[in-house]
Order: sequence, then C-alpha cells, then structure tokens
Amino acid sequence: MPIIEIDEVSKVYGFGDATTVALDEVSIKIDKGEFIAVMGPSGSGKTTLMNMIGLLDRPTHGVYRLNGKDVARLSKIKQAKTRRDNIGFIFQSFNLLPRLTVLENVALPLAYKGMSQTRRLKAASRALEQVGLNDREYYLPNQLSGGQLQRASIARALVNGPSIIIADEPTGNLDSTSARVVMELLSDIHKLGNTVLMVTHNPSLTRYADRILYMLDGSIVYDEATAVGEIPRRVQNAFNALRKSDDDEKIANVSAMIETMPEPAVGKKTKNTKKKKKKKQHAKRSRK
Amino acid sequence: MINEYIRMALSSIKGARFRSALTMFGIVIGVSSVVTIVSLGEGVKQQVSNQVDAVSDSLVVIRPGKQTEAKAFSLDSLRSFISSTGSLSEKDWRDSEKVEGVNSAVPVGIVSGIVSYEDKEYSGGNIIASTKQLPVLLNQKVQFGEFFTEKEYSRNIAIIGQDVAEKLFEENVPVGKSLNIRGTSYIVQGIFEQQKSGSFAALNLNNSVVIPYDSARQVGGSIQLMQVYVEAVSSDKVSDVVSALKTTLKANHAGQEDFTILEKEEALEATNEVFYQITLFIAGVAFISFIVGGIGIMNIMFATVSERTREIGIRKAIGATNGQILGQFIMESVVLSIVGGFIGIALAYFSNAIIRVSTDLQPVTTLRVVLIVGGLSAITGIISGLLPAAKAARKDPIASLRSEA
Repeated sequence: MPIIEIDEVSKVYGFGDATTVALDEVSIKIDKGEFIAVMGPSGSGKTTLMNMIGLLDRPTHGVYRLNGKDVARLSKIKQAKTRRDNIGFIFQSFNLLPRLTVLENVALPLAYKGMSQTRRLKAASRALEQVGLNDREYYLPNQLSGGQLQRASIARALVNGPSIIIADEPTGNLDSTSARVVMELLSDIHKLGNTVLMVTHNPSLTRYADRILYMLDGSIVYDEATAVGEIPRRVQNAFNALRKSDDDEKIANVSAMIETMPEPAVGKKTKNTKKKKKKKQHAKRSRK
Repeated sequence: MINEYIRMALSSIKGARFRSALTMFGIVIGVSSVVTIVSLGEGVKQQVSNQVDAVSDSLVVIRPGKQTEAKAFSLDSLRSFISSTGSLSEKDWRDSEKVEGVNSAVPVGIVSGIVSYEDKEYSGGNIIASTKQLPVLLNQKVQFGEFFTEKEYSRNIAIIGQDVAEKLFEENVPVGKSLNIRGTSYIVQGIFEQQKSGSFAALNLNNSVVIPYDSARQVGGSIQLMQVYVEAVSSDKVSDVVSALKTTLKANHAGQEDFTILEKEEALEATNEVFYQITLFIAGVAFISFIVGGIGIMNIMFATVSERTREIGIRKAIGATNGQILGQFIMESVVLSIVGGFIGIALAYFSNAIIRVSTDLQPVTTLRVVLIVGGLSAITGIISGLLPAAKAARKDPIASLRSEA
C-alpha cells in the first residue's frame, strides 16, 4: 500500500475571471522509501502540491489518502495532529525559532504532542546526533552556519519519526559545500528507509533521487523513476536551456521541457485545458 | 500542556524584556493604586472602630444641623456632615447636663483665633473650649502633664496636641511655656498622647489646643459648639437619654429639630459611611486605570501577533493545533498581567510603608484585597489576550510561513 495516494486532486484559488488553477487534477502514488525530486518552473504548482501533501492546505477537489486514510477533509485540529505525527518539514529558509536553542527547536514538535520536557529533549538530542550536530545543542540559531541550521531543521523534521519528509528547496540558501553536506544527509536518511519529497530548481540534485516529477501549470507532465546517482537527460536538457538564456529563464525552461516531452504528454496537456474550462464553470456555479 | 504554555510565555517575554515591562506598566499602576487606596480605606475603618471600642458605650453625641441620610451617597450629605455648625448654643449644653439620666455633658467649642508662640503662628489646627470630662469621654490620655480640673476652669491654661508641640514650640514637651491666643497668654500644662487619625466624631486632638470653656469666654470672640458629648449614667439608659435630650433641645430651638443626636454606633456608622463612600469613589477611578492597562496589553499582544506571524506559521507547520496557538498567546498575556499584578501589589506595600512613616494614617492591606486584585489582573490578562490570540490561531499557516516577519 502506498504511503501517499493522491487521486485527481485540484486546487483552485479565487472566483470568476480571477480563478487560478494551482493544481489541475493531479494524481500520484508515493511508496514508502522513495526519494522524489519535484521540479518545475515557479508557479507550476510544486509548492501547492507540497502544502497539500503536508496538510497545510486542503484540495478543492479530489482524494488524498495518507497511510490509507482519507485526510483531505479532516477537521483543522485533526489535520494539525496528523501533520504533527506524520509530516516532517524542511524549509529553504530553515525556519528555526530564533529565541529557542537548537535543542529546544528540535524538540518543539514533541512538545505539541504533550511529551514531557525531559523525554523530548532526550529524543531531540538523539535526532541531533543523527545529523551530527550534538555539540551545538545549546547554541541559538543565529550562532550557527546555514548548513548547520539546515541540519538542525532536518533533525526537527526527523524527531517525530514521520511517514514522509517534505523538503522545499533545502539547499536554496546554502553554498555548494554546505548544500552537498545537507544532500548527503538527506540521502543517508533516505537510505535508512525514510520517504523524502524534495522540491528543487537544481537538476544536479536529482541525482540523489530515485524518482523525478516535473510539474507545469498545475499538472505533473513528467514522472520517471531513475537510478540514484543519475541525472536524467531530459532534466539536464531543461537545465542547460535554462542556463543559456538567463534573461527569460522561465520561457526557455518551459520550451526546453516541451521539446523533450513525448507526444502523449502534450496530448494530455490539451485535455487538461478543457478540464480547466470545466472547472471554471464549476467555480462559477458553486459561487451562485 | 499548561506548563508548556507558561514556559513558552516566559521565554517570549524574556525575549522582549523592555517591551514586556512597558506593557506591564499599565497593570502595575492600576493594581498598585487600587490596593493602596483600598488599604487606606480599610486602615481608617479599623482605626475608627478601634477608637470607638475604646469609648464608653453610654456616650451620645449631639451635633448641630439635621443629619441627612448618610447611607445614600450624595454631595449634600457630605457637605452637611462636614460643615454644619452654629445651631448649638451654650444653653443647649448646660440644659443637656440637667437631663435625667445624664452623667455629664462635655462641650466641644471652636474658639476663633490663632495660636502663637513668640513670633511664630500655628494655623493648622483648632482651639477647643471644653471641660474636664473631655479626655475621659474620648478615652484620650495626656502623655505629659495633666488635664485641667474644675478648679482651674477660669485659669489660662492649655493642653496641646503633639503636632502643636512639634510645629509651634519645636520640642516634644513644652510644658510650662506660654502661648498666645487673641492677646491672652496661656500656659501649657499638658500634652496629649499621639491620637490615631480617623477619630471617633471627627475631632483631631493632635493639632488642637484645648482650653477651659470658662476662660475661653473671657478671651472674647465667638465660641461655636461643634458638638456636645453626653454620657448617660449607664449604657442601657442611652435610648431614654436620647429622647429626653431631644425634648429638651427642641424646646430650646422653638420646636425645631435642627440638631442631630447620635448614639455611639450611629456616630461610627456616619463617619465610616463617608470614608467608605470616598474610598469606593477613588477605587472606582483607580479601577479605570486597570481597564486602560488591559487595553494596553491587548494592544501590544496584537502587535506581537503580527510581528510573530512567521513564528506562528512555523509552529503550525510542525504540528501545533489552532487551540495550542490560542493557548500560547493567551498564556503570554495572562503571565504579563499576573506578573504586572504582583509588581503592583509589591509597589502598593511599598507606598503603604511610606504613607505609614510620613503620615499618621495606618493603611491595612488585607489578604482578601490582594487575592481579589490578583484575580482581577489574571482575568484582565485572559480578556485582553483573547482577541489577539484568536487572531493568531486563525492565521493561515501557508501565508504565515511566507510572511517576512
């Protein structure tokens, strides 16, 4: 049974002419132990998908099953509890609370679970050991380097033993050395059997993943399993295209994708446009 | 989880010390003023009742003017209580002495004039013309020297309060020195023991110069009878004496009852009532600063919530429920106001100590007042934290995570 099962999930913002379709009937299954890299230009719906999977957001339509349970329409409080117990977030900007020590930051998810202070600090200490930061437990976040901060936030994501770790551009704010350390760490965590879902703009990072999703205009246009350590050619092409014309990177990026895309995918895209119209009508109707 | 909220609240208060101190300031002022004023009122009440206990049960007080119902708070009742003089005459006093069942009647007459010693003047008090029974009836001891006797009624001698001794003579025991009243010199024969304030029947002997009634008449000027103390032969005769006095005095006043006769309890009540009303009124004003303090906390909490939007987003992303966010922020405001309340109570104790040292008032802070005010500040915290915390709890986690703050 897959950990995550998303079936024709859509997310629509706004009404009438201002309607934006952020996710367009996306379906995806994620099994335990996968390391998935999600790519795509800005505005393609990557983050919306992550927020949906991370239970920070609710789909407008569709079914989302987490560990076999339908979680798309849970009450807010149940959603928060499910998030606390099953999801670990890693952010581009680390998002550690500046007033708490590294140890307290890592222990925070357990505090919301109601665990006693001694027990949760112990658990946090173990998680920090896992990321090799236990000599920095009592430092404040502003006393750490970017790489260390990201490792601390990986420890925070791990401390609950989550079903899935969602990393939104984990290396976006890091220099290449720190980025490498963080990626190796994520890779190690993956090898220990954790499921990792990572959004990235950097094609070279896809070599750590064993499955690659490419998103465009709210749809998954490309979903392929690769061997760990390999950067798929199409991703590389897209990346090269992006490099050649920085002045209009988005268009280049998209056209590179379309060029390399197999025929059925293009066909699917036109079908999606029709569906989009249908959805607009639906939005209008529901407003009435 | 409450522990957790308190811990979080303390850590965020520690993180913004100056701001938290400013926020608490309103509550500190509110609490300390309410506690101080209520303690003052309580202190005065206790002093009065202590003195009344010391006074004999068979005492009756006649005051000039018709006393209106003092229980209903009105400026009129206060005004007539404070300023009614003039309707009692010497004849009233002499006649009340002859009423059946009366042991003695003592006049308290205000002599117009200024007391002076060498080239100094004492203008802060009263010159009181009275008789030998005064200290007995008021249960007031003479600390140095002696009160005058019947034989000395026509002699120019004075018994003075401690305040007069200190301010006019600048010494504690000026017995034997002479002071001047309307050109006549009086020899100081005794000094009263320090009288606690809030005196029964509103007579402050600390700043008074008491002279014999007969000699006061010789000095000239008018003597206004402020009150007449009448002592019945026994306490169970008091009500008979009161009605007999009423009849006698009415006859003197052409059938009109333009005077008030108070039994001991009534006199206490009337005095207490006025103090109670004033305390209540000022405490009400102080209470407003409580509300202002609460609004101050609410204001800062709103600012804190917008400033910490990102933190709220992070907490929600790692699994905090809306309820937990609500609890955290309410607790923060409760901790602020309770700590403010404690500081306020401490400040009130401090200012009470200063009042005790620098005036003759004896403020009394009861545990009840402390508990009520402490509870009030906690409630203020909850109420003023509620809206900002609800705002924090309702924030959308995605938008919060994106926010700059």
